[in-house]
Amino acid sequence: MISLRSPFGWVLRLMAVLTFIYLLGPLFVIVAASFSDTGYLAFPPQGLSLRWYRQALGDVRYLNGFFVSLRLAGTVAVLSLLIGTAAAVALTRFRFPGRALLEAIFLSPLVLPGLVLAVALTLFYAAHPVAPPGLPRLVISHLLVGVPLVLRVMLPVLKRVDPALEEAAQNLGASPLHAFFLVTLPALKPGLFAAAALAFIFSFDEVEMALFLGSARDAPLTVVLYGAAQMQMDPTVAAVSAMLILLALILMVAQQAYANR
Amino acid sequence: MHASARRGLVAAGLLAPAALVFALLFIWPQLGLFLQSMPPGAPLAQYERFLGDSYYLGVLGNSLLLGLCVTLVTLVLGFPLAFLLARAETRWAGLLLLLTSFPLWVSAVVRSFAWMVLFFRNGVASRLLQSTGLVESNFQLIGTFAGVVIALAQVLLPIMIVTLYAVIRGIDRDLEHAAMSLGASPVVALWLVTIRLARGGILAGSLLVFSLSVSAFATPSLVGGARAHFMAVTIYEQTLELLDWPFSAAIAAILLAISISVALTYGRLLGDAKEQAR
Repeated sequence: MISLRSPFGWVLRLMAVLTFIYLLGPLFVIVAASFSDTGYLAFPPQGLSLRWYRQALGDVRYLNGFFVSLRLAGTVAVLSLLIGTAAAVALTRFRFPGRALLEAIFLSPLVLPGLVLAVALTLFYAAHPVAPPGLPRLVISHLLVGVPLVLRVMLPVLKRVDPALEEAAQNLGASPLHAFFLVTLPALKPGLFAAAALAFIFSFDEVEMALFLGSARDAPLTVVLYGAAQMQMDPTVAAVSAMLILLALILMVAQQAYANR
Repeated sequence: MHASARRGLVAAGLLAPAALVFALLFIWPQLGLFLQSMPPGAPLAQYERFLGDSYYLGVLGNSLLLGLCVTLVTLVLGFPLAFLLARAETRWAGLLLLLTSFPLWVSAVVRSFAWMVLFFRNGVASRLLQSTGLVESNFQLIGTFAGVVIALAQVLLPIMIVTLYAVIRGIDRDLEHAAMSLGASPVVALWLVTIRLARGGILAGSLLVFSLSVSAFATPSLVGGARAHFMAVTIYEQTLELLDWPFSAAIAAILLAISISVALTYGRLLGDAKEQAR
């Protein structure tokens, strides 16, 4: 093994520490700057105040955006979980021709640019208005990434659960459906939580489809932030960003705590 | 027979919602994109317009160069950190890995805004550069190519680290030890053993980061400023501002073609890497 105490090991360590600062430093900067008591964005912060938080929480655009994003991400998480888990069960528990191809198609939006999906959907909805504009359109469009995210978590989890257990339950007199709920579903629980968390945070953070497909009236928070960040270096944007970083931290810790239970 | 027919019905029922979503909102719109980029009468006109115009070729070149630079930066910075995390024996390693992937939970808009704070005229990073005397006193990193590279590399770095970490974890550390007991220095052992064995994963991670940077939107448009000449920003302008849909469909189709070819190579490499590991 390469000793981490050798001079070479110390060079590696130094590089790793610098990379760590590069990776997390900007998040720290924005949180620190949000507490500044100046009329402009300052880092290092001067003074200490919560005035930008007061301003952000009193701003209708941000508040409205937050609740739109919450509704959007919540709906996308629930629908992705239902649709994705059902598909994952079918893909792992049944054998049929074209199974591998179907799995590849279902997972492919994860490696395609979000912007291309957004443009294709914009042109599609213009010709075929299958859903009312605004939030409904955005919800069904986010399923295109939400469902693959759920599949990516649930496929390996389902493959690990032994189908023989379900068969055993059926031999003992349970119906197939009953056996699934009694045996398989409890084993899936941590996976379900992780999958829902991923779909939620994707939808909450996503900006490209939101910009293209959302309506001005119920614009998600990322769209409001994107617009505000383009306009000016406003400290309220930093305050909203800091609150979003806190939200992400809470979600990540909750997901870890749940996974390690 | 009766039971198997019922099983088939159950499978179809479970797949139906996902199949409907993908047929309606994925396959149909993607095909529509290609169709709309090739209007009847002059099917290739939009592509000729893009490829025949030095401005748009410059945009494509800019995006490809951005992809190349970001991939290099994430690889050079990501490898040492991924290696240390994979080889560390402390219980902190798990926590550090978690912290490394934390930025992925934060919106790219927020992360790009953080860089704007550092990059504007009075921002820390711009002031540091000004104090070296290498740039003029009113220099700012916002709107520069270098600024976009620095910001986008930070946004995509966690993806590179997570990919490399998984590959390095799979390499037997005794092989490095063996190389060193045969007289190799740590650098040589790392080069001959670890990097060689990890090359499938290194390539896979690089292709993924490359594909994501070429098509990135939020960071180039925010850090690059109002007139950032990158593919995704150009598509945005053509679709929502100039409303030239056949042309934006053609540019999106070109971007899609790049992503698909990268994704196919990626899939093959990952398959090869798994083969090798066996």
